[in-house]
Amino acid sequence: MNTPVEGTSAPGQPGANGPQDAPLRAVAGVGSPHRHGRRRRFANWCEHHRWSASASLRRLAARPLGSLLTIAVMGLALALPLAFFLLLGNVHKFGEALGQNQAISVFLQPELGTQQAQLLAVQLRARPEVAVVRLRTPQQGMDELAGMQGFSGALELLDHNPLPYVLQLQPRAGVNADGMARLITDVRAMHGVDLVQDAGTWRQRLDALLGVGNRVVLVLASLLALAALLVVGNTVRVDIAGRAEEIGVLLLIGANPAFVRRPHVYAGAWYGLFGGALASLLAAGIEWSLAVPVRQLSHAYAGKLQVQSLPLWVLLGVPVATAALGWLAARLVSAWQLRRAQ
Amino acid sequence: MIHFDQVSKRYASGHEALSQLSFEVASGEMAFVTGHSGAGKSTLLKLLGVIERPSRGVITLDGKNLGRIRRRGIPKLRQGIGMVFQDHRLLMERTVFANVELPLVIGGIARQQRAARVRMALQKVGLLAYERQLPDTLSAGEQQRVGIARAIVAQPALLIADEPTGNLDPQLAVEIMGLFAEFQEAGTTVLVASHDLPLIKRMKKRVIVLDHGRLVADLAAQEVL
Repeated sequence: MNTPVEGTSAPGQPGANGPQDAPLRAVAGVGSPHRHGRRRRFANWCEHHRWSASASLRRLAARPLGSLLTIAVMGLALALPLAFFLLLGNVHKFGEALGQNQAISVFLQPELGTQQAQLLAVQLRARPEVAVVRLRTPQQGMDELAGMQGFSGALELLDHNPLPYVLQLQPRAGVNADGMARLITDVRAMHGVDLVQDAGTWRQRLDALLGVGNRVVLVLASLLALAALLVVGNTVRVDIAGRAEEIGVLLLIGANPAFVRRPHVYAGAWYGLFGGALASLLAAGIEWSLAVPVRQLSHAYAGKLQVQSLPLWVLLGVPVATAALGWLAARLVSAWQLRRAQ
Repeated sequence: MIHFDQVSKRYASGHEALSQLSFEVASGEMAFVTGHSGAGKSTLLKLLGVIERPSRGVITLDGKNLGRIRRRGIPKLRQGIGMVFQDHRLLMERTVFANVELPLVIGGIARQQRAARVRMALQKVGLLAYERQLPDTLSAGEQQRVGIARAIVAQPALLIADEPTGNLDPQLAVEIMGLFAEFQEAGTTVLVASHDLPLIKRMKKRVIVLDHGRLVADLAAQEVL
């Protein structure tokens, strides 16, 4: 443990009195308490904070291997939940790209004509669960297929349009799962309906899976944050144990626990900051390495997919949060160690 | 200034280091505490520095009951006491100047004032030329003088020293004791634990003699042969 002593008051600095003229009483005066205002105390407190921050940084730099290992362990531990967070975000985006809404596609029997299809559309519009019914003709379906990569050649080989009329139902907002199930059962039973495809069920399952994934990421992030906290705590504990004699001297000559603790608390904050920064860099690296394969996947889905990056606030917020975490760990451990030392 | 009233100290091991000890030391007085090894000299000083608490009895320092002082009040109390140890307890990674400056940093003294006070204290112990050196480049006597400079730099009202000349040759020991006497003459209360009887006699100061934790003699300066 160092204090803001070395290099702060360099020899030759002007003092209040010249030492040569100073009488003994000025040094060994009786009961002369330090009289200085709150402002000066505050300035001194700030000075000690500044010094503690820089001294703890120098101490980290003085043992680069140990510091780097601690930072690397923290960085890797914290990069993992970030990577999962990135993955989940992209799965969510992927799900959105594949099905924007909870639409139900009703494929009519191929022999049904326009009038019958319109009649069915009218019947469905009358249902309270249905908000919108869109009729898609076989020609519209064929045009859409023709626009998709790889289909145009195949479609030219067909001598007639095999696609049926399709009714796309958009349920009203607020319809629950039971209402949706009833609607689907009723539609399936309608005359002229060949197939009912429920995008909503698929979406619900994906959303449920994403919910599980989010919870897993949260639990994982909490556990790994705890691990990071323990790593910092243990590093600070070892550091304090190595400086027990020095701490003992400081306490004997009147240092309060906050004074002794301060450089260690800053060391914890530095570990957290650098560990978090490394985690953000690793996450950005993972994102960068996945960019090319995801772009290829996006092409396969006619460019509907877009890679979701980690937001800037997450990348910047992680080091800040981990610095606070490191500070907390160091604060707790150093307080405990000092209580024992006292 | 210092008042011991029926003070006993029994350690957790069961060993009674001090037993019903009563004495007073006036402000500005210098006294030696002597006795054989294990007599309780160091325990007495530890009680004054609130490194230990009394098991029974009352110790007051400037009217404050040290047995009742709260843990958070201890640092402030220690800032008012200069402590000198037999083994110096200097921080070897730091310069002489930095070691002496420590109590001022802890006490919240402004940087400019610190520099002047440190040099004043170093000049007093004759080590002004060594301020940039590391303690382990100095002799044992010089290291002890750095320890003394550190103890006086914050202008404590009380200076306590535990066997400050234990590792020094006789000539250096006399010099160190001479320094303590000078501080006393300037008004500081000085309490020195030592078993060096020839040196104590030479100083002609009050002597408190302990034996197995009990006060067996309290000799005024003029009574010391």
